[in-house]
Amino acid sequence: MLNYFITVTKDLLVASLVLGLLASFISRNFGRTGKRIYVSGIILGLIGSVVMTVFYNATKIIDKTGGTGSWNLRIFSVSTVALVIFLIFAVKPIIKKTKGAGEVIISAAAALLAFSVLFYALPSVLGYPFNFSLGGESYFSTAFIYRMIGYIFGMLLCLLTAISACKCSSKLGEKEAGFILKGVLIINGIHQIAKALQILHAKRIISGSAVFRIIKFTSNNGDLFIYLIIALAFIMPVILIIKGLNVKEPYENPAQKRKIAAKWRNTRRWAVTHILCLVMVVLVFTVFTAIDNREVELSPVEECELRDDALYIPFTQVEDGHLHRFAYETEEGVIVRFIVIKKPNSTSYGVGLDACDICGETGYYERDGQVVCNLCDVVMNINTIGYKGGCNPIVIDYKVENGYIIVPTYTLIEHESEFK
Amino acid sequence: MKKAIALILSLGMAFSLAACSGSSDEGSKGSTSSESGSAEVTSEQPAGQPDEVGFVELPIFEDEEAGFMNVNAVYFEPVPMSNGQDNIEDYNLHLECDVSALDNDLGYGLGDWVPYLTVDYEVISDNGQGDVAASGTFMVMSASDGPHYGANIKLEEADTYAVKFTFHNPEENGYLIHLDAKTGPGGTFDEYFADGNLEVYYEGWEYTPQEWN
Repeated sequence: MLNYFITVTKDLLVASLVLGLLASFISRNFGRTGKRIYVSGIILGLIGSVVMTVFYNATKIIDKTGGTGSWNLRIFSVSTVALVIFLIFAVKPIIKKTKGAGEVIISAAAALLAFSVLFYALPSVLGYPFNFSLGGESYFSTAFIYRMIGYIFGMLLCLLTAISACKCSSKLGEKEAGFILKGVLIINGIHQIAKALQILHAKRIISGSAVFRIIKFTSNNGDLFIYLIIALAFIMPVILIIKGLNVKEPYENPAQKRKIAAKWRNTRRWAVTHILCLVMVVLVFTVFTAIDNREVELSPVEECELRDDALYIPFTQVEDGHLHRFAYETEEGVIVRFIVIKKPNSTSYGVGLDACDICGETGYYERDGQVVCNLCDVVMNINTIGYKGGCNPIVIDYKVENGYIIVPTYTLIEHESEFK
Repeated sequence: MKKAIALILSLGMAFSLAACSGSSDEGSKGSTSSESGSAEVTSEQPAGQPDEVGFVELPIFEDEEAGFMNVNAVYFEPVPMSNGQDNIEDYNLHLECDVSALDNDLGYGLGDWVPYLTVDYEVISDNGQGDVAASGTFMVMSASDGPHYGANIKLEEADTYAVKFTFHNPEENGYLIHLDAKTGPGGTFDEYFADGNLEVYYEGWEYTPQEWN
């Protein structure tokens, strides 16, 4: 659940802020024509994203037209040109001087920017449900529903962030709102250029150590751009709350006074909402991500008897159907771990190394009665443990005799290298 | 100001052109080139461009030789695979090792994919001087462009990496060679594996994480 909440929020945050701030700018400066053009950009972005999602997940069209990287380059190109046009024309003297033509040009540039951020961010988000049903899990399984809940929460958080950004921006002064909007657009534009350089470099269209140093920095510090955007967005509610503390608007009668008080109450509510959204976003980027990335602690190694060059594990120790972990220390000082689990509805046991050919010595753990690979999160079919293949535990020799599972030490020494 | 605008517009144009053309001299995908009995296997697929079956592979290195094998390395988006390997949530790339036969006396046709190998991989940060960022044993699989050795891995940091592939003797997996003069190809794996496993070590993979969708 947390994974998709984080991923969706990260994917959609910038888009939601850009859309909200642009919406506020358009409705502040232009009439019906400008609004229609801007909304058209959003609608086209939504339609384009749906089409892109279908193409990406169900066809080979995207790859045959250059792959996602090339598509992102195209999006960044359109977005960069739209940004330049917007920055040139969206200033008060030009808006006043150009009137109708200016409205069309600026709204079209804003629409292109809206289209670009949506077309860039949304297809991956719309595509995530394609991966929700993993390993044949049912659409009504708990895991599927949890993923869906995280996914929807992420979308709702971004939607609320967009609406509260729009509301806060529209309640700010024109200059302050313009500064925030252009700041967000410019930071996002620079980030897009950095991403474009990464794509060009990976495709070997550009090269050079200086270029790589730059893109290495921007890639490893990509969150810096996001935090800068969040910081800018955070300024809006702070200004509004400060202004709200010292309201000195003139009024002629109690009705007007109540109206002014209601207006600022409403402003404060949106400001607090936006702050809460941004705080939640920062938590998602930091605390939630840390929680999601924390490593599962493997259950401790259990004691068992070592005699005649073999480890003896009594059935009574492992017949509870849970995962049991044992280990043997070789002469080289390497701890070779193996697992034992009683198979469901059976008297037989699954025995294998606590490592697999694919993921190495990462180990397995038990989750909701299932055995899961600690690295790749693949859920094992317990009945196939003891057989070679996929992410299954590496097969080792053992025998069952007189109520004991007997694992000879030579088979563990043979696999010493897996645990170095 | 005008210069800055011109520069940004130029960048926009440059990205557009790159997205549309993306030409490159580099190759990424091994394929056979055996004109006039030449015993060379070279790469012809332009880097970062969709191949004839339609998916884009980004190059790591091309045409490194290990014994009787020509080795290419590419990467692309993490992919779901059969046999329970369909969870790609925790990976950000699919590392692929393409192994094709050079001119040999082991019975492989020139340019044939070499089966029954165990291939271990290591991706080492700081161009081989740092920690091992990813390691394991490749799985064997087929994509629409044929069989290969590969694995989904996670490599989050942009860095210059060294890549090490270790090739075990196919006999370890039960692959045999006829030894008789009548039907045997003439050679044995001992010629190549007498001193142990074969290795390809490549330094200088300048990697940045990519957005795949």
